[in-house]
Amino acid sequence: MHEPPYETVLKPYGAALVELARQRPEIVCLGADLTRQTETDLFRDEIAGRFINIGMAEANMLGIAGGLARAGHVVFVNTFGVFCTRRCFDQIAMSVAYPRLNVKIVGFMPGLSSPGGPSHQAIDDVALMRAVPNMTVVEPADAIETRQVVAAIADWPGPVYLRLKRGEIPVIFDDDHRLDLGAAQVIAGNAEAEVCIVASGMMLPAALAAARTLADNAVTTVVINVPVIKPLDATTITAIARRSRLVVAAENHTIVGGLGSAVAEALAEAGVAAPLRRVGIADTFAEAGSREYLFAKYGLGTNDIIAAAWRGLALNRPMPVAPAVAVRPGAYAPV
Amino acid sequence: MGGQLLFEAASLRRLATRIRMRATDMVAIQGFGYLGQAMSSAEIFAVLFGGTLRIGHDRFVLSPGHYVIGLYAVAAELGLLDPAELAHYGADGSALEAIGSERTPVADLVCGSLGQGLSGAIGFALAAELAGEDRSVFAFLSDGEMEEGQVWEAAMFAAHRRLDRLVAVIDANNSQVDGAVTSVTTLEPLAEKWRAFGWRVAETDGHDVVSLAQAFASRHDGAGPLAVIARTEILGRMRAIPPTIDGHFIKLDPALKTAIMRELEAALA
Repeated sequence: MHEPPYETVLKPYGAALVELARQRPEIVCLGADLTRQTETDLFRDEIAGRFINIGMAEANMLGIAGGLARAGHVVFVNTFGVFCTRRCFDQIAMSVAYPRLNVKIVGFMPGLSSPGGPSHQAIDDVALMRAVPNMTVVEPADAIETRQVVAAIADWPGPVYLRLKRGEIPVIFDDDHRLDLGAAQVIAGNAEAEVCIVASGMMLPAALAAARTLADNAVTTVVINVPVIKPLDATTITAIARRSRLVVAAENHTIVGGLGSAVAEALAEAGVAAPLRRVGIADTFAEAGSREYLFAKYGLGTNDIIAAAWRGLALNRPMPVAPAVAVRPGAYAPV
Repeated sequence: MGGQLLFEAASLRRLATRIRMRATDMVAIQGFGYLGQAMSSAEIFAVLFGGTLRIGHDRFVLSPGHYVIGLYAVAAELGLLDPAELAHYGADGSALEAIGSERTPVADLVCGSLGQGLSGAIGFALAAELAGEDRSVFAFLSDGEMEEGQVWEAAMFAAHRRLDRLVAVIDANNSQVDGAVTSVTTLEPLAEKWRAFGWRVAETDGHDVVSLAQAFASRHDGAGPLAVIARTEILGRMRAIPPTIDGHFIKLDPALKTAIMRELEAALA
């Protein structure tokens, strides 16, 4: 695993989709007037015959995707996460999920990674998609996982919601890291730790940084990366949480209905006694701003995870602060 | 089933009458249901399935699932569905649900949440285009569901893509839950709207099998998608049904059933 600041790459999803579609003629790529922003300009330029721009009409796009999938295609639907979940929820439920069709809904700009304010910030997309029967919800954490997730969800039967960061994608994992849609993975620490940190997507770098600062201050942690939020790998999470004093879930999403809620359900049903702290957007709409500003203001920073652990353990010592990471242009570090 | 033979007007009229009789029997099981939809659309189903669409090859999309009773009826008449199944219409556990679903036989796609069918039909048409298949796609719509914005998103896109394979037939019966469509909102002028969205339009009496068959046949006469606007009446011009009845969801008592069946049997004779 690499250390922050992380190197970044551009368009790992778009490149992987083109590569896969060259081998798989049944793959079709739909968009809604956000072609470059969803990295599908690569698909449009390379495989024009199977790229269809539906225009700004998400409800229509999901319905068309359903028809194409019924005819045997594997359909990748691309737009911002906020638009492909909120705007067309009934169409996703009825035209895609209920018939369990091979439609892969790819939503970019998760949570507060969008500077565009509440209209462009997908803060509840995971909650919405988790609630839909037959839907699988996937959020890779870096470029290595993103490259692999395209083929993985194409082979995964039925509808998938894929939540992707837009723009510069950090490289956190080594090249030999393997994404597993069937399992959450312990990626740092060991199962005997005091604090079990469960994180997905853009919160993984913050979770790793928090774990490092906590370790420097005599608090042991284990970090679990959860690329598949539904179905949640409750077995792995509860087995580790059972040995922990505290569980902290970290997500770039409202704390209602997302990863934290899924973990809470798993812990409660398994009878795990460790308390849970949810780090995420505190059931509020946000505002326009930079990622750095918004993540800090709305509690998505490394220090928010540290604080959740510190307070959850009721430690009397002064709470440590994570060292700031100098970031050069083109590199990525957690807030 | 010889398609050309069925295009003979008298057989199509008989098929429409048989659809109404099957639907009346089905609704009589519980004494209420979507009988008006079948009365309104009997000729449309008769002409579509009685020779227009190539069953098992062309695609059929039923957007308003409330009309599925008409599909069950025509399917039973043409041997696509065991007529004995109709006795279980709307019963617990039966695949013949009162509002169509994924369990519905015969159709390629049946929607229940209104306004979604045309988009699915476009998906089928695009798939046929990608595969280079000679396959028409018929999407059955109702006028009321055109209040949903998705219909117009789909209409705009289908014309933009010049989807020659796509035919939308609109049962324009001026009926929705709260009453006449005209009392709820103004959809008219329907033909001008579809033309303005880039469609070819054939407007016709939806209870006249010959005009309907000609309207569907005109899909081969030009380029781009075709909208067949079938002007119908929710009670299907049945004299036996009092005009004041709520056509969207008809309560069918035994006396009314008897009167309807007598009128339909007379039409068959």
